[in-house]
Amino acid sequence: MAALEFGYIFWNPIVWVIAFVVVMAVAYFLRSRGQKKYKKDTAQTQIFLCGEEVPEAERRHVKAHNVYWGLLQTLKGYYNPTTKAHTGIINDYIIWFTAIAAATAVILFIVS
Amino acid sequence: MSLKAFKRALWVYHLNTGSCNGCDIEILAVLTPRYDVERFGIILVGSPRHADVLLVTGPVSRQMVTRLKRVYEQVPDPKVVLQVGSCGMEGGVFYESYNLVGPVDQIIPVDVYVPGCPPRPEAIIEAVVKAWVKLERAAEQRIA
Repeated sequence: MAALEFGYIFWNPIVWVIAFVVVMAVAYFLRSRGQKKYKKDTAQTQIFLCGEEVPEAERRHVKAHNVYWGLLQTLKGYYNPTTKAHTGIINDYIIWFTAIAAATAVILFIVS
Repeated sequence: MSLKAFKRALWVYHLNTGSCNGCDIEILAVLTPRYDVERFGIILVGSPRHADVLLVTGPVSRQMVTRLKRVYEQVPDPKVVLQVGSCGMEGGVFYESYNLVGPVDQIIPVDVYVPGCPPRPEAIIEAVVKAWVKLERAAEQRIA
């Protein structure tokens, strides 16, 4: 199996797999050195949040939506009206589709 | 005194349940070069899940009751609870406060008490050694 090599770049799938296996073996060794006497289904296996009650996973994770905060904040003048149009009702979407299709047909008819 | 079964370093998690910080300052003094308990392998850790000893300072205020119980439950077994300061025993200067729920041993079981307001670092070190001996016995019983 040929290695990819040019300039400072070297990549070989065999080397990559060996490196991956070595890293995973080290990680497994470190994990196996951990505490094994935790009582399952008790607070001992819960996340430590300074003694606070641990919320559900959906509530304690940072939402992916947060990544887009800057974009949405900058373009909120555009997003706010378009968000209102997204009602989630299929009838509304069909009306929009039909109206846009009709308007496009009219424009094409006039132009042609 | 020989320590055989419990050969690891002793990791301590410190929880302040409403202390005036006097005891906390003495605990810091225990870690300074003058006393330097880290040379014996006694260190403060940032999570009760990593700890062998739960060190509690302060009386238990109403807001801290559930937190104290939860932190105690999160310490893996075998564990020892070390209560530092007089206010965790009988309220101290916070006695008869409207917001006081303690003493600590009415909420979680306490193994070693260190009286004082605040107690001297030497007293805290002696209590940690007693806690270590208790853990040693617990570990031996588990082995046997």
